[in-house]
Amino acid sequence: MSNEVFKDASQMSGGRESDDAIIVIDGVYKRFKEFEALKNIKMQVGRKEVVVVIGPSGSGKSTLIRCINRLETHDAGHIFVDGTALTTDIRNIQEIRRETGMVFQNFNLFPHLTVLTNVAIGPRRVRGLSKSAAEELAMELLTRVKIPEQADKFPAQLSGGQQQRVALARALAMTPKVMLFDEPTSALDPEMINEVLDAMKELAQEGMTMIVVTHEMGFAREVADRVVFMDKGEIVEVGTPSEIFDSPKEERTKKFLSQIL
Amino acid sequence: MITWIRRNLFRSITDSILTVVSASILGFVVFQVFQFVFVTGRWEIIQVNLKILLVGRFPEELMYLVGFSVLATCFSIASLASGANRTIETTQRLSGRLWELFQRFGLIIATSTFLIVLAGDLDAILFGAYVILSILGGRLFGRARRNTSLRKLPGWLWVTINALLPLILIFLTMGQAALEEWGGFLINFYLAVVSIALSFPLGVLLALGRRSTLPLLRWLCTAYIELLRGAPLFVLLLLAGVALEFFIPASIAPDAIFRAITVFTLFTAAYLAEVIRGGLQSIPKGQAEAGKALGLSTFKITFLITLPQALRNVIPAQIGQFISLFKDTTLAGVALSVLDLLNVGTAITKQDDYLGQGLIYESLAFVGLLFWVGSYVMSRESQRIEKKLGVGIR
Repeated sequence: MSNEVFKDASQMSGGRESDDAIIVIDGVYKRFKEFEALKNIKMQVGRKEVVVVIGPSGSGKSTLIRCINRLETHDAGHIFVDGTALTTDIRNIQEIRRETGMVFQNFNLFPHLTVLTNVAIGPRRVRGLSKSAAEELAMELLTRVKIPEQADKFPAQLSGGQQQRVALARALAMTPKVMLFDEPTSALDPEMINEVLDAMKELAQEGMTMIVVTHEMGFAREVADRVVFMDKGEIVEVGTPSEIFDSPKEERTKKFLSQIL
Repeated sequence: MITWIRRNLFRSITDSILTVVSASILGFVVFQVFQFVFVTGRWEIIQVNLKILLVGRFPEELMYLVGFSVLATCFSIASLASGANRTIETTQRLSGRLWELFQRFGLIIATSTFLIVLAGDLDAILFGAYVILSILGGRLFGRARRNTSLRKLPGWLWVTINALLPLILIFLTMGQAALEEWGGFLINFYLAVVSIALSFPLGVLLALGRRSTLPLLRWLCTAYIELLRGAPLFVLLLLAGVALEFFIPASIAPDAIFRAITVFTLFTAAYLAEVIRGGLQSIPKGQAEAGKALGLSTFKITFLITLPQALRNVIPAQIGQFISLFKDTTLAGVALSVLDLLNVGTAITKQDDYLGQGLIYESLAFVGLLFWVGSYVMSRESQRIEKKLGVGIR
C-alpha cells in the first residue's frame, strides 16, 4: 500500500526518482473547523535540495511544514519522511521528529536554560549522549553559528539574531536529515536578518536538505533550488527561482510578486 | 533634608493633615508597644517556660538530637545556597551587599539573640555559637563544590547528599521521643515542614492531572481539587479527629499529629495544584512545540521544559500558600488538641504561679512573634529566589 502511494507521488511531481526524494507529500488535506488550510497538496523534496515556500499570509505555508513533523496533524493524504510514513503511532512520530530539525519564527528557546544547555538538550535527552559529550557537541555547533562566547548566557540576554542562531544550532544538534524553517527572520529587526540568512546559506552549501517558508525573496533567489508558490491552501506554481521570479506563469503568482517586489 | 520633608510630607494642606494624623497614630502605636515590651510587660512567664514553649516536654536526655538536627539543617541550607549553580550574577558595592545580608539575616539573628538572652544560660550561648559555625561550615562545603571535582556531581545527587543528614536526624528526633512528650513550636515547625514537603509533589501531580488528556484522570483531579477547596480547613481537621474512629478501632488509629499532617497535606495540595496549573497555563505553546520538534517525549517536555518554567513563575503564590499553611498549624492545636505553640502558650498562663494575672498578652505576643518571624523569613527568601532566578528578566 505505502509503496504504491510512493510511486504515485513520484510520478506526480514530474518524474523525480522516488529514491531521491526524502520528503513525499501526497494529496494532503488539512482543515481548521470551517477553514480549509491545505487542499490536495502534492510535493516532493529531494535529498540536498533547498525548497523555498512563498505566498501570502494565511496561504497554508506554515501549516504545510508543521505537518511534516506532525506539529499539525493532516486530515487526509500521506506524508513520508525518509521512507517512513507519518501515522498516529507516537514512536513513529518521534522517530520522524528526530530526523527533522525545525526553526521557529519566535525562536522558542527555553528561557530557563543556558544557551549551551538549550543546544545540548536534544542530544542529551533524546539521543542519550552523556552530559559532557552533548555539551562538547553543543559547543561545536555554537562555534559553527559563530556565537561560542555566549554559551553560558541565558537566551533573554542575547539579541534576536543571536537567539535565532542558537535555535538553529539547537536543531542541528540532532543531526537532522531535513531542516524546516518557519519564517525564521520575520520576528527579527532588519539589521539582524542577514546574520541568520548567512548561517542558513552556509548550511545550504554544506548540502543540508531544507524547506524554508520565508518572505525573503533575495534569499529565495540566491539559495533555492526550487520555489513553491502557495495561495489559499493550494500549490499554485512550482519552479526554479528564475522561472518563478522572472517569468511566472500563473496570474496569482504574478499578482503576489508585484505586490511584494 | 528640609526640602525632602516639604516635598514629600507637606506638599499641600491635605498632605499636611494626612501626615500629622498618620504620624500621631504611628507614634501612639509605637509608644504603646514600647511601653508593653519594656515597662508593663511581665516576661518572666516566657523566660521560665521557654523550653516548654519551644519543644514541649521533650525528654532532657534526648535534647541533643533536637540540637543536632537544627545544626545539620543550618549546615545543609547554607551549603545548598552557596553551592548552587551560577545564575545571573549581580555585582554590587560592599555596602549594597551588607544591606542585603542584613535584610536576609537581620531578623533571624535578632530573634535568636533575643531567645538566647531570654534563656540566659551558657548552653544557649554555646548553641548560638555552634549554629554560626555550622552555617559557616556549610558555606565552605558549598563553595568547595563549585571549585573542585565535586562540580561534576549531578544536581539531584548533591541535593540528596545535603538533605540526607538533617532528614535522618529529624526523623530520629521524632521517633525517639514519644509523640505525647513533645510539643510547642517544634510541633508547628514539624507539621509545616512535613506537610510542605508532602503537599508539593502531590500538588504538582494534581495540576498535571487536571490538564491531562485522559478524561477520567482529569475529572478525578478536578473533583478532588474543587471538593477540598470548598471545605473549611478547620472543619476538615475536626472531621479527621472524629471520622477515623468510624472506620478504624481507636487502639490502632493514628495519632493526632499524623491526622493533622494528612489533612494539611491534602488541603494544601489542592490549593497548590491550582496555583501550579495557572503557572503551566502561562507557558507559551511554542515551548512545548520546540520540545516536540526536537523529538522529546511528552514526559520529558513536561519535566524539563514546561513545569520548571511554570513553577518558577508562581514562586510568590506557592510561598504564600506555604506561609498560610505554617500559620494554620495552630488550628491543629484547637481542633485536634495537639500541644502546639498556641496551646502551650495559653496553658502556661494557667500555671499556679501565673493564674489569674492576665499574662495572656505576654504569652500571645511571644507566640505571634515566632510565627511572624517564620513567615517573614519565608516571604523574604521567596523574593530573593525570585530575583536570583531572574523571574521577569528572562
